Amino acid sequence: MANDRPLPGDMHPLTHEQEGRLLLWLRLTVAGHTIGTMFREARLRLGLVGLLSAIFWAALFGLFFEAFTFIDSMHAEVISLLFNSFFSALMVMMVFSTGILMYGGLYTSEEAKLLLTCPLRSAAIYGHKFQEAFWFSSWGFILLGSPMLIAYGLVRDAPWSYYAMLLPFMISFVVIPAALGSIICMLVVAGLPRLRIHAVTISITIVLLGAIWRVWSALNAAEAETLTTTWFEETLSQLTLTEQVFLPSWWLSSGLLDAALRGETADQTWASSVEAMKFLGLLVANALLANLLAGWVAQLTYRVGYSHLQSETPQRKRHARLWLDELLARSGSRWGGPLRLLLVKDLQIFRRDATQWSQFLIFFGLLTLYFLNLRSFTYTYAYASIIGYLNLAVVGLILSTFTTRFVFPSISLEGRRFWILGLLPVHRDHIVWSKFLFAFCGGILPCLGLITLSDSMLGIPRQTLVIHLICCTMLCSGLSGIAVGLGARMPNLRESSPAKIAAGFGGTLSLVVSALFIIGVVLLVALPSHLDLMRRTLGVVPEKNLIGLVGSQTGIMLSLGLVVLLGLTATFVPLLLGIRAFRRFEP
Amino acid sequence: MIEFDHVTRHYGSKTAVEDFSLAIPRGELFALLGPNGAGKTTTIKMLVGLLRPSQGYVRVSGHDLVTDTRAAHLHLGYVPDEPCLYDKLTAREFLRFIANMYGIPRHLAEKRIEREIECFELHEFADDLAENYSLGMKQRLVFAAAFIHDPDVMVLDEPMVGLDPHSVRIVKDLLKARTAEGMTVFMSTHTLAMAEEMADRMGIMVRGHLRFLGTVDELREQMAIESTSLEHLYLELTSAKTILQENTLD
Repeated sequence: MANDRPLPGDMHPLTHEQEGRLLLWLRLTVAGHTIGTMFREARLRLGLVGLLSAIFWAALFGLFFEAFTFIDSMHAEVISLLFNSFFSALMVMMVFSTGILMYGGLYTSEEAKLLLTCPLRSAAIYGHKFQEAFWFSSWGFILLGSPMLIAYGLVRDAPWSYYAMLLPFMISFVVIPAALGSIICMLVVAGLPRLRIHAVTISITIVLLGAIWRVWSALNAAEAETLTTTWFEETLSQLTLTEQVFLPSWWLSSGLLDAALRGETADQTWASSVEAMKFLGLLVANALLANLLAGWVAQLTYRVGYSHLQSETPQRKRHARLWLDELLARSGSRWGGPLRLLLVKDLQIFRRDATQWSQFLIFFGLLTLYFLNLRSFTYTYAYASIIGYLNLAVVGLILSTFTTRFVFPSISLEGRRFWILGLLPVHRDHIVWSKFLFAFCGGILPCLGLITLSDSMLGIPRQTLVIHLICCTMLCSGLSGIAVGLGARMPNLRESSPAKIAAGFGGTLSLVVSALFIIGVVLLVALPSHLDLMRRTLGVVPEKNLIGLVGSQTGIMLSLGLVVLLGLTATFVPLLLGIRAFRRFEP
Repeated sequence: MIEFDHVTRHYGSKTAVEDFSLAIPRGELFALLGPNGAGKTTTIKMLVGLLRPSQGYVRVSGHDLVTDTRAAHLHLGYVPDEPCLYDKLTAREFLRFIANMYGIPRHLAEKRIEREIECFELHEFADDLAENYSLGMKQRLVFAAAFIHDPDVMVLDEPMVGLDPHSVRIVKDLLKARTAEGMTVFMSTHTLAMAEEMADRMGIMVRGHLRFLGTVDELREQMAIESTSLEHLYLELTSAKTILQENTLD
């Protein structure tokens, strides 16, 4: 039927290479403009990200260096096991993370819709989206893996060739699970469109449960006292499952161990390096093969899968009003009516926005798991006290990421809908107050619950628990006030994406102020409370000097008073600034 | 130039388009009308290769959209209902990207880019990032990109949304000129006046079926109503009562 009509307008279909080059040009141009915009408009954020990454990297490096020095002197044989466990766990996580990222990139993004209507091969579109998913899913590995492997090299006095091979090793390894995740994603979408969500959910649940069970049993199988040599060896012996010769993680571990070996003679060192290069060759060959296979699968299934996915009609779901909404809307005085209605609206939106509550559940769920595991270890009072305050800081930091990511943009998003709210008989102050109350009430219960759990697992005395709970309440109040107040003071009406609003200057400032506030609260109360705990548990009589005063009951009460003052300041100053700005707000 | 050959498309148990057959020759401007949920967007998605028919064939310039997708795309230009651009590209960069995608030689591509910038009056913001554009500016850029390779077939999905009256005039004039030169246009729209003014033929889809195919005069003839507006005819044809009557007769 094709009439072989000549192509219009002197067009020449692109070759594979030309398609690749064109899409690479696109990526580099977009990246160039993005970086340029960030340098112009978000220097604070960029600087902060760079600084925090450097601090994080340096801290990890120090930690790994100490750990490898300790292990190298006592348990050199377990390094292989550690590497295998780490890399195999990473491999599984990367299969899932790349699969999920590829699903978003290939099947639900606007860009995919544009590229699919252009004369491009499916494999080229796949390659373009794979680069994106690969970068997003592997930067964490580079950030986490590089300090670990450099520290290992330094501890083992590895030859220069070890450092030269590090990046090729890491990149070629990461490509394999990333390509595998992409292949699984494309096959699942093309072959099992109806079972897609169930397949992914069930797989992730099985893997997660398996991993939790494995770690749990490994930690509990060791009968020796925590953190002793015997405990260490017993625990690691539970992880020998990861040492399988057909796994890329084993090739990577073996290659790195060989590369780091410095023999007694130059020949021995060279022979080890050659062995390492064989493993590197194996990884590179498999990475290329995996990528080739993924491209082939894309060519065969991508358009079919995309079309299948469009066939699925979203199920209509009726969203009934819950008893909680009804209760909230009807209870209380007449004055608070509009405020309560705004709260009900926010509650309904929160319930129906899976992004918000799923992240909330994941992070707080992980924290709960961690706190539940605290009892697996034994602590001295000093350790328990320090860990208790660190946990308080962690809960605050996690909450601050939520207030910055979800609460800070909420006023900007209301600003975009101001034509609705602006016409309602609602005082503007109520909008800001409702946001604050929603954030505070949403955060306080889980946070108090987590702190109570942490302290009870650590066996912390009741008086210290009360102090922690007061601090936690102040943290919730202050963090909500900072996010809502700054959100109202610096609204961004141009963006419709809350993630982009949170990533702007105002969001970054909110995150920085929140972090400083958390550090302030924890430091203010940790020192006197810790000194007091030490004094009481060790039975030391307080000295009559400044340290004695700080560590006394008076010192604690004073620090608590300061915490409450700081908390109220962090709550009301930004809120009042925000309310004043919002009264003058012109959409 | 465009052929739908007994095309059916299912969404699960629901049939969005059923046994749809249509041939649009070279140089014709065809307007597809129909109420929401009639199957217009599904038809357009099959025509641009985003969806595959459950049964039947869709061809552009003789190339099947399923088996010969890439060749078919080389003959197609597409303006979607919602403009999709790269926020971090300028108009000029986006046009260059599209021109390169169609393999237009560099010297010719630069001339075409300038031609489209002039035609759609993009000068003022040609070197600004697309993230700063209004909806109308974005839509004009999408039109420019769709025309840059001088396609044989132009597919337009609600093309005038977001355009100001001046831009609408530009687009209308351009479509008339290009169809006179032999370009085939397939346009989905809710704007009846536009269809009446521009289309050589029109099709009215209702619940996945092509209820009418022909000119406005032929529609008047078929409906046995004289001297009335297209709006009136359209509402009559797509009314629940008419559909019920036709189904009973079937």
